[in-house]
Amino acid sequence: MFGRHDYSFQYSNDQITFGLQPDGECHRYFREMKGGKRIEKNVVSQRGKIVVCPVEPVNLPEPVATNMEIEFDPLFMEPFSKKTIFLTFPVEIGVFVVAKKAIKALDIFSFVPQKYSLYGPSNGGAIARWAYSPIYGEIPGVNPLECGVIKLTVHNTTKEWVEVSRALFDAFSMKLYYSSELVSMTAVMRILSSKTAETEFFKEAVVEGMKKSIEFYLGRDIPVVKHNGLMEWGLV
Amino acid sequence: MVIVERLQELLQAPLFGTSITFGNLLWLVVILALSVIIARVTVTNLRRALEHKVSKNELEILLKVIYFTIVILGVVIALPNIIADLSGLLVAGGILGIIIGFASQSAVSNFVSGLFLMVEQPVKIGDNVNVGDISGNVEDISVLSTTVKTYDGVYVRIPNEKVFNSEITNYWANVARRFDYVVGIRYQDDAEKAIGIIKTVLKGHPFVLKKPSPTLYVEELGDNGVNINVKVWSPAKVWWDVKIELLWKIKVALEAEGIEIPFPQRTIWFPEALRVDTRSGETNGKEQ
Repeated sequence: MFGRHDYSFQYSNDQITFGLQPDGECHRYFREMKGGKRIEKNVVSQRGKIVVCPVEPVNLPEPVATNMEIEFDPLFMEPFSKKTIFLTFPVEIGVFVVAKKAIKALDIFSFVPQKYSLYGPSNGGAIARWAYSPIYGEIPGVNPLECGVIKLTVHNTTKEWVEVSRALFDAFSMKLYYSSELVSMTAVMRILSSKTAETEFFKEAVVEGMKKSIEFYLGRDIPVVKHNGLMEWGLV
Repeated sequence: MVIVERLQELLQAPLFGTSITFGNLLWLVVILALSVIIARVTVTNLRRALEHKVSKNELEILLKVIYFTIVILGVVIALPNIIADLSGLLVAGGILGIIIGFASQSAVSNFVSGLFLMVEQPVKIGDNVNVGDISGNVEDISVLSTTVKTYDGVYVRIPNEKVFNSEITNYWANVARRFDYVVGIRYQDDAEKAIGIIKTVLKGHPFVLKKPSPTLYVEELGDNGVNINVKVWSPAKVWWDVKIELLWKIKVALEAEGIEIPFPQRTIWFPEALRVDTRSGETNGKEQ
């Protein structure tokens, strides 16, 4: 499913049917998910490409958040320690149309249900896409259409023991990579005190040879200033 | 040398028989032009620097204030070149100020309130608010007034003084908010089962926040049924959609499991038995 395709692209499995079909001199995009409504959009373009790739998982069912929170079993980090773990995160799939060096998001869908949460207090905190993940010591075997993998290096920069059981990531700075077997991101979480930390993504795939996803916020023509995720309302 | 002397004479020559010289007038023009140029350069640079950091409305007001401050400063510096003594002007200006002050009391009050609103920022453009008895979305905040589009789509202009002095409820100021329902079930229904069903419905909705988690409890043993209180946290921007969507889903889910919403009912008890006359088919009330 993932990749760059011609306008003749169509994909079908037991959960979804989507793609483009010619409609006169233009094309018609369609998507039908199991138990869902059929979506159709007219694409006024004769020649171009369709890119299907994972996007920042904060867009469905409608964009209300720019953060993703992953909760995991507690890690007790000794002073100045560093540990690399693998976590899973929900995947949202974007369909982009590319023609004449311009790009536009056509559709976003997902095979996993969404859940949101409040990180911090209601005044000053942030709404975040929420997901739970077990902690893995190596890349877990997951369905890339449903789950991605974050390689997260947790770094306790303090001289105290710190308990951490969640990580907050800023969607604006996510760097997603994909292949037919895996969707991945690489990030670091720097613990600054027992209550605060910052997270940052790297332009680095977990496995060599993976392609970089289109950054959806760039696809939406939103000017993006580089962000790091700041966790100032606790790590547990 | 001759040219310089001529130029000096020209600059010192009185204009129109007054004490003002051509030189004074030239300085006035130069200072005014310089102040306008400095104001424009400052404003252009500030606009570039603050474009993405300050909201458009606030930026425009700030830039206007800075522009006119610099120009007025230039005028104050330039004026002594044509008026030797500014004290007379100050007196005249003072009187004029009092007159203008009385005449524009309301406008000034709104202006000052507008500045305070911009500093305090109880509302922002796009917020869902309640100002006094007006509810709607904030469309614009200008120096003198705040524009609200009510939920009926009606344009309402509220003077900033009124906004500043009114009680303001901003539904979008915080990122999340709580709402609640009271769901009644019949006395013969299992309240624990009903709570479990409602929890399942809430768990399945993306915008019912995981944290803070929903709270459900039996609130009251009411006249007609058992009342279950359901408190739900949701993102502030979608709370209303979630509220109206969830209530029906809860009702459908409860009924699917055989739990019904009770209707008002009364059990009437008679201290003595009723006698029914079966021959006429009518009930004659209490036995005589």
